[in-house]
Amino acid sequence: MTPQHRRRPIACSNPVEADVLMDYWLALLPSSSEETVEEHLVTCDECGDRLREAIALAEGLRTLARSGSLQVVISDEFVKHAAESGQRVRAYAPPPGGSVQCTVAADDDLLVARLAADLSSATRVDLSWCTGEGIEFLRMADIPVRGDAGTVICQQSITMAKASPSNTLIARLVAVDAEEGERLLGEYAFHHTRTIPGPGRWEPS
Amino acid sequence: MNVELSNADLALRISQGDQEAEAEVCRRMAPRIQLYGLRHLRSSSAADDLVQQVLLTMLEALRAGRLRDSDRLPQFVLGICRMTVLGLRRSARRQERLLVEFGSDLVPDPAPSPMLDDDQLARCVQSLKERERSVVVLTFYNEQTAAETAAFLALSESNVRVIRYRAIRQLRTCMESTS
Repeated sequence: MTPQHRRRPIACSNPVEADVLMDYWLALLPSSSEETVEEHLVTCDECGDRLREAIALAEGLRTLARSGSLQVVISDEFVKHAAESGQRVRAYAPPPGGSVQCTVAADDDLLVARLAADLSSATRVDLSWCTGEGIEFLRMADIPVRGDAGTVICQQSITMAKASPSNTLIARLVAVDAEEGERLLGEYAFHHTRTIPGPGRWEPS
Repeated sequence: MNVELSNADLALRISQGDQEAEAEVCRRMAPRIQLYGLRHLRSSSAADDLVQQVLLTMLEALRAGRLRDSDRLPQFVLGICRMTVLGLRRSARRQERLLVEFGSDLVPDPAPSPMLDDDQLARCVQSLKERERSVVVLTFYNEQTAAETAAFLALSESNVRVIRYRAIRQLRTCMESTS
């Protein structure tokens, strides 16, 4: 948000809560609450400005969510919706303990890893990303999973993948238990071959 | 025009043919009508069209002295907004006819939209906990409901709401602290 939209004292005597304004924008309020909010907004430009900030944040998040640039665990419905709305989805599903050759093309929109594992006994699952040598460089702690799902779908940053030189990444699904420590649920190797022209290795910044 | 005039004063002046009062009411109400339009029509251009139609209907009524309680001008405008959106949904053809007939003369400059640093927003989203990030992405990607997100995460809808509120608050704080 621009500096002029930083938090400032609210002069409105009965300001609508920011959470309520966001729910109003997302059409998540019951109709009676929605009417109350609208009756206030039609008299209060200050809360109107705050609603514009909420809209800007919501639109920014929508654009970001659709950009494919985030690393995030998503649902199967999300992937289906992306494909149905015309986005090019590239998905790889190496078997547990196995590997897959992979790449991304310039016109791909989403890059998705489907990791099959028995999640039924895990109370907390971490997704560890490692180099080809097995050295962890990123841990996605306590990822959202359903015990009965059987698969974790992780969106990788398409922006990073398009810029990435050929390399190998290893994903590890790990069950984490306070008493028993960590237990490997599955390991998956991704052998990425660069097909978009660019440097052969990461350039030092 | 003295912008400190009350809505009731403006309504009275408009009924007496004061064009400056008409301009002031339009300036005052247009951003509010536009917000209503954005929320219900989900399109900037449709919201701008709504501003035109509501202002025209409002001015016609005020000129004719049809506003019984001039203190309730905002509520009167909100009522016109609701009726107009209902009408727009019923008849897209009627919308086109009104726009052709009245043109865009009555639309004041739109209220400025806050600017967002997209790169910073991406960094802030990436700093969320995994569960929060998933809820945010699923919520905003296609405005998935709490029920749909809850089904994926095997959580209750109220838990999903709490996670979403917490995540959005954290994002606001993150954006404000770094802007």
